[in-house]
Amino acid sequence: MQLPVLNDTPSHAEHGAKGGCAASSCGTTENQMDSLPDSIREKVQNHPCYSEDAHHYFARMHVAVAPACNIQCHYCNRKYDCANESRPGVVSELLTPDQAVKKTMAVAANIPQMTVLGIAGPGDPLANPERTFETFRRLSEEAPDIKLCVSTNGLALPDAVEELSKHNIDHVTITINTVDPEIGAKIYPWIFWKNRRIKGIKGAKILIEQQQKGLEMLIAKGILVKVNSVMIPGVNDQHLAEVSKVVKSKGAFLHNVMPLIAEAEHGTFYGVMGQRGPTPEELQDLQDSCSGDMNMMRHCRQCRADAVGMLGEDRGDEFTLDKIEDMEIDYASAMEKRKVIHQAIQAEMDSKRLEKAEKAQQHKQVPKLTTRPVLMAVATSGQGVINMHFGHAKEFLIYEASPDGVRFISHRKADQYCAGDTSCGDGESVLQVTIRALSGCEAVLCSKVGYEPWEMLEAAGIAPNGEHAMEPIEEAVMAVYKEMAAAGKLDAKPEAAARASA
Amino acid sequence: MAVKIIESCVNCFACEPVCPSKAIFEAKPHFLVDASKCTECEGDFPVFQCASICPIEGAILDSFGIAINPPGSLTGIPPEKMAEAMAELQSH
Ligand code: SF4
Ligand code: SF4
Ligand code: SF4
Repeated sequence: MQLPVLNDTPSHAEHGAKGGCAASSCGTTENQMDSLPDSIREKVQNHPCYSEDAHHYFARMHVAVAPACNIQCHYCNRKYDCANESRPGVVSELLTPDQAVKKTMAVAANIPQMTVLGIAGPGDPLANPERTFETFRRLSEEAPDIKLCVSTNGLALPDAVEELSKHNIDHVTITINTVDPEIGAKIYPWIFWKNRRIKGIKGAKILIEQQQKGLEMLIAKGILVKVNSVMIPGVNDQHLAEVSKVVKSKGAFLHNVMPLIAEAEHGTFYGVMGQRGPTPEELQDLQDSCSGDMNMMRHCRQCRADAVGMLGEDRGDEFTLDKIEDMEIDYASAMEKRKVIHQAIQAEMDSKRLEKAEKAQQHKQVPKLTTRPVLMAVATSGQGVINMHFGHAKEFLIYEASPDGVRFISHRKADQYCAGDTSCGDGESVLQVTIRALSGCEAVLCSKVGYEPWEMLEAAGIAPNGEHAMEPIEEAVMAVYKEMAAAGKLDAKPEAAARASA
Repeated sequence: MAVKIIESCVNCFACEPVCPSKAIFEAKPHFLVDASKCTECEGDFPVFQCASICPIEGAILDSFGIAINPPGSLTGIPPEKMAEAMAELQSH
């Protein structure tokens, strides 16, 4: 089945512009999801973490069974969950494999949309092979309708491939921040290897070799591999296009770039030394040039190692240890129910995909606008509609509208640069931080906007819009785009748009 | 002769599986070394295994009570810089 994502005709203006690694090296101009082999597309199109529409319907969970780690990353303090996989500053409840299996089955029985179970930490899953593999072994046997996935820093990966291939493993995520040992030494101060601590370039070189070897071995076994990179301005930002090229040529189906989040109070090397993370715009530029048009994974929210539920929501509190202790789970009958619900969701998704494809078809027939692309922010709590109050949104979905249609670009967290208290550093209010997170956008669509934010948004050149509450996101974005075009707002190029296309 | 884990331990579990003598155990508020079992890795490895994987400077002491991984040795953060950053945070 073809997946009608919206990038059938990507805007070329944007591509030619990126310089460096534009279309020729890492991005391609055709739709990459369509260009994936059928076997891979089949696997990812219903995966909540990869498929943009599936993540509105299916859910994933992580269990924290793997505490130890065998390397050090400069953005990690080890008190919190593995920063490669979770948002820094989060601590998960550590489970034994037995507790993890119980929790997974309890969640699966109660949230039938949960289809994917991941182990991502809190340390490195493959540095805890017994705990990780026991969890996988038991789930493969006892809950065969759940797909399994695992993330790793790659150091112990080559030794784990054989065992991984025995389970219901859907895909493996490797965090690869560099393929150059000199850059590696600036990210990884040491590794634990063959019973010794190895520092500097020597350690980084071994880690890189193990990551690449592991990647090749997984591909040879036919296991899907996704690569994550943390974008560290001034350290590996220029180099990630190269990483992208290397890992894709070896067969990784997706390369996902995440922002460095460094805070002094985490006590990490980068935090203390004042290394900054990328701005939303820098991140988006790099994501555009490296992930190409692949629409998947732009919605990654770096979920925490014990997250439960739809992306962006966490229902972990309903499944704490003492609560699952009391739950009686009849998994065989739960599996029957799950099957029925999955089929219903599938049918709904198929019909929506079809509808979208038809609309795209119609869209092609009307005379094309020649206006410039515009970024818009959307506040939603799911189901693909605009249904969130501006002031309640902790994150925004960013869409690009252009004459070619509407495409999903990324998530931006409203509180990303703020520790959550009412004022940050220079007395900036949460509202100011939010507005800064929306820089580059020219409109924000939500169910309602208060008076104060309304004025501030307008002052910042972002048009607040509450007229499309409960409407499907893409249609509303297109409608606003057309209004802007009709009002003649899209002829001249304001600064923000000049960045995207100049 | 034995090494010792002190309160700066963050309970990351890394040392426990690598000890050849099974001397390390989980405890509250932090991991501990059973001094009667610790061999200081003699005969198994040329370096203390626990202290070679521990990510926290100062968390493991040798039998003289000296930090096997002194400040600055693992993170690369100069101790003055760390003190400065923490003082800065405290003043907020
Ligand atoms: S791999 Fe994960 S847990 Fe290990 S040091 Fe890096 S961020 Fe931390
Ligand atoms: S020094 Fe060696 S034997 Fe002693 S606790 Fe550490 S790892 Fe175990
Ligand atoms: S490795 Fe260090 S910090 Fe981690 S549990 Fe052992 S002593 Fe504690």
